[in-house]
Amino acid sequence: MAKQEFDVLIIGSGHSGGMAANVLTQKGISCLMLDAGPEVNLATNRATRNPWELPYRGMNKPGRLPHVVQANEFNANQWVDEKEVPYTHHPATPYNWVRVRLLGGRSLFWGRQSFRMSDWEFKAGEKEGVGDNWPISHADLDPFYSRVEAIFRVSGRKEGKPHFPDGNFLDADYGPDSATVQKVTQIAQSRGYLVSKIRASNGRNGQASSVNLLLPDALATGKLQIVPNAIVRELTVDKNTGLVNGANFLDRHSKQELHVKARVVILAAGSLESTRLLLNSGLANSSGMLGHYVIDQLYGVQVVASVPEARGGTPPEGLMGGTALLPRFRNLQKGEKNNFSKGYGMMIASGGAAQPGFFQDYGESLQKKLDLHAGACMTASIYGERLPRYENHVRINKDVKDAWGIPVLHADVKDSANEHNMAKDAADTAEDILKTAGWDILSKTDKFHPPGYSIHEVGGARMGDDPKKSVLNKWNQSHDVKNLFQVDGGCFVTCGWQNTTLTMLALAMRASEYLAEQMKTKAI
Amino acid sequence: MQAIAAAPAVPAIVTPALLTPQSVQAQSPPPRPPGPLATGKRDAVADPVSHFFTAPRFAALHKLCHLLMPPMNGNPGALEAAVPQFLDFLVGQSPTDRQQLYKSGLDLLNSRSATQFGKPFASLDATQADTIIRPLFVLVPWQFDLPKEPGARFMAAAHDDIRVATRNSREWTQAAIAAGRRPVGAQLYFFPVDPVYPPAPPAPVYKG
Ligand SMILES: Cc1cc2nc3c(=O)[nH]c(=O)nc-3n(C[C@H](O)[C@H](O)[C@H](O)COP(=O)(O)OP(=O)(O)OC[C@H]3O[C@@H](n4cnc5c(N)ncnc54)[C@H](O)[C@@H]3O)c2cc1C
Repeated sequence: MAKQEFDVLIIGSGHSGGMAANVLTQKGISCLMLDAGPEVNLATNRATRNPWELPYRGMNKPGRLPHVVQANEFNANQWVDEKEVPYTHHPATPYNWVRVRLLGGRSLFWGRQSFRMSDWEFKAGEKEGVGDNWPISHADLDPFYSRVEAIFRVSGRKEGKPHFPDGNFLDADYGPDSATVQKVTQIAQSRGYLVSKIRASNGRNGQASSVNLLLPDALATGKLQIVPNAIVRELTVDKNTGLVNGANFLDRHSKQELHVKARVVILAAGSLESTRLLLNSGLANSSGMLGHYVIDQLYGVQVVASVPEARGGTPPEGLMGGTALLPRFRNLQKGEKNNFSKGYGMMIASGGAAQPGFFQDYGESLQKKLDLHAGACMTASIYGERLPRYENHVRINKDVKDAWGIPVLHADVKDSANEHNMAKDAADTAEDILKTAGWDILSKTDKFHPPGYSIHEVGGARMGDDPKKSVLNKWNQSHDVKNLFQVDGGCFVTCGWQNTTLTMLALAMRASEYLAEQMKTKAI
Repeated sequence: MQAIAAAPAVPAIVTPALLTPQSVQAQSPPPRPPGPLATGKRDAVADPVSHFFTAPRFAALHKLCHLLMPPMNGNPGALEAAVPQFLDFLVGQSPTDRQQLYKSGLDLLNSRSATQFGKPFASLDATQADTIIRPLFVLVPWQFDLPKEPGARFMAAAHDDIRVATRNSREWTQAAIAAGRRPVGAQLYFFPVDPVYPPAPPAPVYKG
């Protein structure tokens, strides 16, 4: 006997899928959520260990997660096993795809930095004269951002600057800045740069995940069923209408294949997994744009300076500590002369340590230097924006299948001169600020991680008004298949320098409300 | 056994309580509260057995560990923390590029030492050893971008491994506790969640 048909099938339980379920069920719409991963209880699944109690002394099982730089032996089990679900890239152009397959996805572990994007990102083409615009502006997303900020309990300092839009923030007391942060602020401001503070989701009880902030309310409506360990292989299509009517999935343990029926399908498996699913299903790609314009942010670039008065282990009270955040300050004016477009944010943290590699030394003499600079360092790092480029794409590699027999992705994503020039400018700018403050530069690099490392991979199914140039419309709805939505980062047209999740959440909320409206009027 | 043999007719379903006559139960010590058994830790009771490096390479690694990470600030050094033995294990388990980096790096120390001083690296005094290793130290501004030149690359990688393996050792933790300092390095360990069994086969190699 055929099982019930759901109103909406949501694939993926992370931030974006959680938001879709939260919105739709509270509007009375019945939802089934499938997630490839098992359920996990963070309270009981973790325990404190010394590094030497682990099999490899905390230094990682060699070769286990070659693409996850963030992995260590403590957290190795939280990431997708690269042998179970491989992906490929040319050896010369690495791509670091950092994935989680657990109920709640990456929302269980994210760093919670939460910035809005501005019209310098949404309307990049207009503002800067380079690249494409999104079909929406900050004003369209503003009310949704505000509601997401309330749910995630975002704190931040208001600045009143359109390129760094303020939000619906909790009151937060940042306390007085340390003298070194004041000095950085003064120098940066004298160069015309805004200086602010990190904005972050506080969540509840130390967690800001879909599991604790989004799914409980959805479940409470009685309108949501969640099935973990369900790996969706492909979407199924009604041959008469061309609309999607459900999905085939595999049981994670037994590999048994099952089918579910739904009137609408929402993809929320993460930008690239959703793209993989669409490519494997042969759907939503009349534009030929599916898988293209894959972007993420440029991380790396580090300049470290030592503050002379802070050396020796016990800096004077009030000198060190805290951070200064410099939101993007390059190319905010049209026609600004730089050898790159877009920009980067910069974080300057006070009170860090020097690393052994900063000195050509070893043994006791090295240790003396490390002790001298301990806690006396200022560390500048960046959040760079990469350019969206058609050539940067993912495609299916038919020769390689995952442990469930599903063809994997091949990532073909490279950096251009724009990224290298931006990184160089960032390193020079950081050096200039720290030197101007009178501090000694210990180390400077303009090197950066390969694409994907930032864990802010977006694009692949970008949104737009023109069905020939985009996969989704401005409501995250497929141009080709009207009852198919993708609410994760796949829709991004530009990636901005800002951590992407707050924008994903606002977009997922907006798209889900639109869908609910369409279902009410029977337009879908 | 005798007690069981002497017991009256044994019922069809035998429970442990029935197997133990009351007289014996009365003599037993009081039961302990339920809970996990106290178990020991590998590194507290046993020494590693080395397999990977040849004797000349192991001797060079041993010397290098001592030079790079001697006991300092009241902490144990790399030798006290059995780092050469641990790295023999770790590198032996590693992908071939790391194995090769170590093998050729240690060979380089021995060959330069033979050329300059006519003896293996392990037999050099500190000043002699310094003339061999000092040129291999280059600035590494970013730990994710190791130098390309093989000797410098080996030194950067080995230096980091030796430092981390020493700090992550049981001996380091114990020294901190003994000195009344808070031990560093303990973190939340994330257990595997409902793993698929049997595990996936090795990933196929990219051909393209
Ligand atoms: C350590 C870390 C720090 C981070 N820090 C920040 C930060 O400070 N700020 C910020 O903005 N962002 C941060 N991020 C990124 C952020 O976590 C992601 O942008 C966000 O969680 C993505 O949400 P998502 O719903 O699109 O995808 P995911 O969270 O990846 O969820 C996708 C879900 O889909 C499931 N799935 C995948 N394929 C299938 C399939 N075929 N069938 C069924 N289910 C499937 C997966 O199991 C997963 O649960 C961080 C991420 C990490 C890991």
